[in-house]
Amino acid sequence: MNKLDYQNLSPELFQPAPVNTSDQEKINRPSLTFWQDAWIRLRKNKGAIAGLIMIIILTLMAIIAPMTSDYSYKEQDLKRAKLPPKIPVLENISWLPFDGKDANGVDVYEQRGIKEYYWFGTDDLGRDLWTRTWYGARISLYIALLAAVIDLLIGVMYGGISGFYGGRVDNVMQRIIEILVGIPNLIVVILFILILEPGIISITIAMVITGWVTMARIVRGQILKLKNMEYVLASRTLGATNSRLIFKHLIPNVIGPIIITTMFTIPYAIFTEAFLSFIGLGIRPPEASLGSLVSEGYKSIQTFPHMMMIPAIVISLLILSFNLVADGLRDALDPKMRK
Amino acid sequence: MARYTLQRFIYMIITLFIIASATFFLMKLLPGSPLTNQEKLTPEQRQIILEKYGLNDPVPVQYVNYLKNLVQGDLGVSFQYDNRPVTELIGERIGPSAQLGFQALVFGTIVGLLLGIFAAVRHNTAGDYAATVISVLGISIPSFVFAALLQYYIGVKLQLLPVAFWEGFEYTIMPTLALSMGVIANIARFTRTEMLEVLSSDYILTARAKGVSQAGVIFKHAIRNALIPIVTILGPMAVNLMTGTLVVEQIFAVPGLGEQFVRSINLNDYTVIMGTTLFYSALLILVIFIVDILYGVIDPRIRLAGGKK
Repeated sequence: MNKLDYQNLSPELFQPAPVNTSDQEKINRPSLTFWQDAWIRLRKNKGAIAGLIMIIILTLMAIIAPMTSDYSYKEQDLKRAKLPPKIPVLENISWLPFDGKDANGVDVYEQRGIKEYYWFGTDDLGRDLWTRTWYGARISLYIALLAAVIDLLIGVMYGGISGFYGGRVDNVMQRIIEILVGIPNLIVVILFILILEPGIISITIAMVITGWVTMARIVRGQILKLKNMEYVLASRTLGATNSRLIFKHLIPNVIGPIIITTMFTIPYAIFTEAFLSFIGLGIRPPEASLGSLVSEGYKSIQTFPHMMMIPAIVISLLILSFNLVADGLRDALDPKMRK
Repeated sequence: MARYTLQRFIYMIITLFIIASATFFLMKLLPGSPLTNQEKLTPEQRQIILEKYGLNDPVPVQYVNYLKNLVQGDLGVSFQYDNRPVTELIGERIGPSAQLGFQALVFGTIVGLLLGIFAAVRHNTAGDYAATVISVLGISIPSFVFAALLQYYIGVKLQLLPVAFWEGFEYTIMPTLALSMGVIANIARFTRTEMLEVLSSDYILTARAKGVSQAGVIFKHAIRNALIPIVTILGPMAVNLMTGTLVVEQIFAVPGLGEQFVRSINLNDYTVIMGTTLFYSALLILVIFIVDILYGVIDPRIRLAGGKK
C-alpha cells in the first residue's frame, strides 16, 4: 500500500489549477428564444400536433376542393337527388361506406345509370355534397379568422389602453365592459339577425360587438399586473417612453395569454356559427354552412344517414382540432398554467 | 359585502335596461309593421288596430309605455298565437325546459365530478387519458350533432328509448343526456385541474401521513377546496344549457321554451321573440349576479378587490 504521508507533503503537489476565464462564460447549449422553447414543448404534445395537421388538411381541402370540383355548390339536378357517396378506388373496400350503395345495399348509381362519382353523395335537391361540405368548411374557417382578428384588434387594443392608462379612462372602459359581459352573446346575434337578413354579415357584426370582451379583460389584467413590476419602473426611470414600454416590455410579455385566448375563442366562434345555421338563423340555402348541412341532413337521417354524418364529422373534427391546438399552446406558452 | 352586492345589483339593472332598450329600438328599426301581411284591412280598421296597440304614438311615448309595461311584467301580445300575452306563452312552455335544464345540470355535475376526480387520482394513467379524451370530445362535438346521433342510434336503431315527444320520464332521458354532455365535459375538465393542484398541496400530504384513507383524503379534504373555483363556470354553463335547449328541444320535439323561440323566429313573431329574448337575458343576468355574489362570499379576495374601487 502506497499511503500518502500526510505529515510531510511535498510542495510540488500543490500546483494552482490553470484557470481559463473564457471557459467559465462558455455557453454549452444553444440559447433558445421564447418561441423555440415553446415550439419544443408544443412538439412533444401529440394531441396538439395531430390537431395542427388536421387544421392544415381541412384548410387545404376547404380551399382546393370547391375549386377543383366539377359541380358548383348550388347546382341542382333532381334526377341525381339523394345519391349515396361513391369514391373511386375506395368503392372497392367493402367496409367503407363509399361504394355508392344505399342503406338497403342497392347500387343507386347503377340503377339510375349514372357514370359520374359523387364523392360525398348528393342532397335531396341533387346538389353535390362534396362541394357543399367544403364550401361550408370555408364559412367556418372564415368565422375562425374573423374571431381571431376581432380578438387581436379590438380586444387587445381595448384591454391594453384600459390597463396601461388606468385611472378615469380605465374606470369608464371597465364599466362598459361590465355591462357588455352581462349581455348574452347569443341574444345580440339573434337581435342583429332579426333586423338584418340572416347570413354571414349579421353574424360578423354581432361578433364584432361582443366577441372581444374576454380578450379585453385578460389583456387588461395582464397589463395591470405587469406595469407595476420593477423592471418596468426601472425602464421608466431610465427614461423609456410610453411606446417603448408598451412595445418592448409589455406586449412581449402578454403575447402568450393573447395567443391562448385567441385560440380558445376560435372553436367557440365556429360552434356559434354552426349552431345559428342549424336553427335557421345563420347561413341559409342555397349557401352552405356545416351547421345548415347538418340540419338539412338531419331531416333524412333515417334513410340517408350520410347526408348528416359527413358534415357532422367535419364540423366536429374542426372544433376538436382547434381545441387540441389551443390546449397544447396553453401548455407550451405558459408552463405555469399547465394542466 | 353589502356594498359589493349593491354594486353588482346596480350593474344587473343597468344591463337589463340596456338590453330592454336595445331590443325595443331594434324592433322599431324593422321594416314594415305587424300589419304588413294583412292587406285586406280597410284604412279605418288599420287605424283602429294601430290605435289599440299604441302604435300611433310617437316613438318616445311608445318607449316609455313599453318600459312601464315591462316593469309590471307585461311583455305584450303575440301576433301569431291569437293575441295571447307573451308572458302566458312563456309560462306555458317554461316547465319542460326547466325540467330538462335541471336534470341535465344535476346529472352532468355528478358524472362530471366523478370523472374529474377519477382522472386526477389516476393522474397520467390510461384512465386519466380516457377521461381527458371524453371531456375533449364532449367540448368539441356540437350539441345538435350529439343529440341527433343519440336519437338515431339509441332511439331509431336500438329502439331503447322513445325517439321524441314529451309524455313521461323515459321521454326526458335522451334530451337530458344530450344536454348534459357539455356540462359533463366542462365540469370534468375543471375538477381534474383543481383536484390535481389540491392533491399536490402540503395539507393533503399531512393528511396522508396521519394515515387518512384514500377515500377520506379525496372526499373530506381535497374535494372541498377543489370545488370552490367551480362556481366560476356556473355562468358560462347556464349560457351553455340555454343554447343547448334551443336545439335539443327542437330535435326531440319537446314542447319547451326553446322550441317555441326557434319557431317564433321562423314565423317572425316579433313580440314573442322580444319577450323570450328579454326573459332569457334576465335569467342569465340573474345567474351571473348570483354567481358573482356567491364567489364574493366564498372567496373574500374578490370582495375586497371589488370594494376598493
